[in-house]
Amino acid sequence: MNLEEAEIRMASHKAQDQGEQILSNDAYIQYAAMIKNAAKHWRRTFCEAGSIWQPVVFLTPATLVLFVFAYWPLLQDVWLSFHLWNMISPAMKFVGLQNYFQLVTSAEFIKIITNTVLYIVVLLLVNFLLPYLLSFMMAHLLKRFSFFYRSALFAPSTVSLAVASILFLWIFNPLAGPLSILLSAVGLESPRWFKEPVLVVIVIGLIIGWKVFGYNLILLLSAMVDVPKELIEAARIENASDWQLFRYIIVPMTSSTALYVFVITIVFGLQYVLVPVNMLTQGGPDQGSTNLVYIVYQYGFVFFQTGKAAAFAILSMVIYALFLMLKTKVLDKKVHYEN
Amino acid sequence: MKTAKQLLAWLCIGTLTVLVAGCDSSTNVSQKSPGKAVIEYWHVNSESFGGPAVKQLVEQFNKENSDIEVVEKYNPDMYKGLTQNLQAAMASGKNPDVVQMGYSYLNYAGENLKYVRIQDIINKYAPEDKTFLSDNFLPNILALATTDDGKQIGIPYSVSVPVLYYNPDIFRQAGLNPDQPPRTWQEVAQYAETIKNKTGNVGFFMQEFADNWAQQALIESNGGHILTKKDGHTIAGFDSPEAAQAYQVLVDMVKAGSGLHATNEEGFQAFISGKLGMVCTTIGKRENFEKSAKFTVMATKFPVFEGKARKLPAGGNLLMIFSQDPVKQKAAWRFVKFLESPEALAVWTKGTGYLPPRKGVVDDPKGLKAFAEQNKNMQVAMSQMPEVVKWASFPGVNGLQAEQTLIDVRDIILSGQQTPAEALKQAAAKVNSLLQ
Repeated sequence: MNLEEAEIRMASHKAQDQGEQILSNDAYIQYAAMIKNAAKHWRRTFCEAGSIWQPVVFLTPATLVLFVFAYWPLLQDVWLSFHLWNMISPAMKFVGLQNYFQLVTSAEFIKIITNTVLYIVVLLLVNFLLPYLLSFMMAHLLKRFSFFYRSALFAPSTVSLAVASILFLWIFNPLAGPLSILLSAVGLESPRWFKEPVLVVIVIGLIIGWKVFGYNLILLLSAMVDVPKELIEAARIENASDWQLFRYIIVPMTSSTALYVFVITIVFGLQYVLVPVNMLTQGGPDQGSTNLVYIVYQYGFVFFQTGKAAAFAILSMVIYALFLMLKTKVLDKKVHYEN
Repeated sequence: MKTAKQLLAWLCIGTLTVLVAGCDSSTNVSQKSPGKAVIEYWHVNSESFGGPAVKQLVEQFNKENSDIEVVEKYNPDMYKGLTQNLQAAMASGKNPDVVQMGYSYLNYAGENLKYVRIQDIINKYAPEDKTFLSDNFLPNILALATTDDGKQIGIPYSVSVPVLYYNPDIFRQAGLNPDQPPRTWQEVAQYAETIKNKTGNVGFFMQEFADNWAQQALIESNGGHILTKKDGHTIAGFDSPEAAQAYQVLVDMVKAGSGLHATNEEGFQAFISGKLGMVCTTIGKRENFEKSAKFTVMATKFPVFEGKARKLPAGGNLLMIFSQDPVKQKAAWRFVKFLESPEALAVWTKGTGYLPPRKGVVDDPKGLKAFAEQNKNMQVAMSQMPEVVKWASFPGVNGLQAEQTLIDVRDIILSGQQTPAEALKQAAAKVNSLLQ
């Protein structure tokens, strides 16, 4: 320690000495002027409005980050998908398109796609349609307690998905859970929620709802509240029913936010599936709860077949891209953007 | 100008600190140990999974051996993480000396890693220990660290086995004697039915982890096999009448409502909250069950099929040595010998819940005698050591995916979609295509 301190002190003395030397030197002043000129030149080319370089300068940091953390891994993933590699062995074997071929022809492929679609349906019901209707009610039909509902419905979003998973594991426990007690009180036997093919997807959809529902509700609510009061009052004067109000004013006026929520419900929702599936079912029963995102994890980190995992990842990427294209081509045209 | 000076000063300080720190770490090893053998011990034990026991053992060893210094290094992500680090380290010529290796990596390690045969080190440097392995380990336990081609690549260190836990309160309610737990699978089925009829609770659950471990015990105890050899190739062996019969016991219970088919955690939750009579799972859950349950958790041996031998796959790890330098090899052997001593194994068992692989630790007053006497459930597990077999490991690049097929088929069978014989036959075909 002492040695270090002494050296540091010496270093700072040395630095001071050097600084003074530079300061007393004429050459330094010339040097400073040169730098000043260079800086001016630099400013003119890169920073002044109208220069073609200005946008480049501003965009470079973000582009670099995006390239390093998004596009470079994507390219690596493509490269990996042409190989056989177990993540441990130093030798990687090039197999061309074999991974893609095996994956598309396998029996589980149909199951994975069906499950993914099923997840999308459940997620849209729980995390898009339901919050949409509820937010409409809260903004325009509810006369009182709206603050209470808002807080109560948002609160679960603050709980982590892992915690929600364990919570639901208890609630749905077929022998000891509160739900099974309620069911047995009316003479029914609790189904094996996490061991039945379609039920398991619904239950996992509910768990994700626990996390996402409140957030989507607040987003949609803000759009609902933004609908001009004059429009609604005018409609009321014209004796419009609640349904007409909803159909002809609310739906078009909130369409841009609704589209956003629609997209994140699917894109984020499918990714959220990973946590509860990994914690509760590991893709079971008989691959009944797996989807495009979990299968990537399973092949990569459970089977250590990184080539196939990469191929699945590229495939999901393509499907996402198709979905977003569809969204831009079809849905965006029906949406009303304020600006 | 003052700021420029300050900036320069700070820069210098920064550079110097880095230099000093750099020197520090490189001189560390050579300064600290003139004539002292420094060896590295790589393990997978996090703070909540035996980490404190590792630290305690290393500290004790270093105190007792002034000429050796063991440095322990934790590797996250279990044996996969450890093997990755190991391969990277060996590629750069800086291998550790003593390493924990999971039984599931046995063949991979034997084929791909440059290990040193422990018996060679013993013969060369410690002839007095020549018979250490055969004297202190049962042959079936030593076999856990023997690869398929017959090489002893290390020494077994941690062993876990399945046992049958039960809730004595539910037994009493059902008019069953908790001191006479079921011995055979037939009795398990009877007990489960009695529990269902008398108490309304479900009687039995066998673990449904994302592995086939407990089911292998069931199948092999009925004389079946998970894998067999045919023309020198390893192929699926579980499409046999014995395996189907073994599974039938479980299916019948689930169908009758006296057995539970659920996720692992659900089964354990139900048992802990007193809604389930018997659970068949690893001895590793002992402490958790005993702590969380409101009743006295009791355990008995893994049930048998009448007239057939009990065969229990071992979970856990073995110790391997990778030192190339003779001094380090000697030191590594002394450390391994210490880890495998009754005293050290006692610390290890208490800290992790694994069973000691060595003979006699249970009866040794320096070992686990006092602990075992207090803990009947631990005694039960330890008494099964002679019946331990290898956990089937599927060879080849698709090996782990083949194991998934067995997990999937378990769901198909237990949910009653197909009969065990049909489902196992289809699964075997799939496994065989994966193993090709």
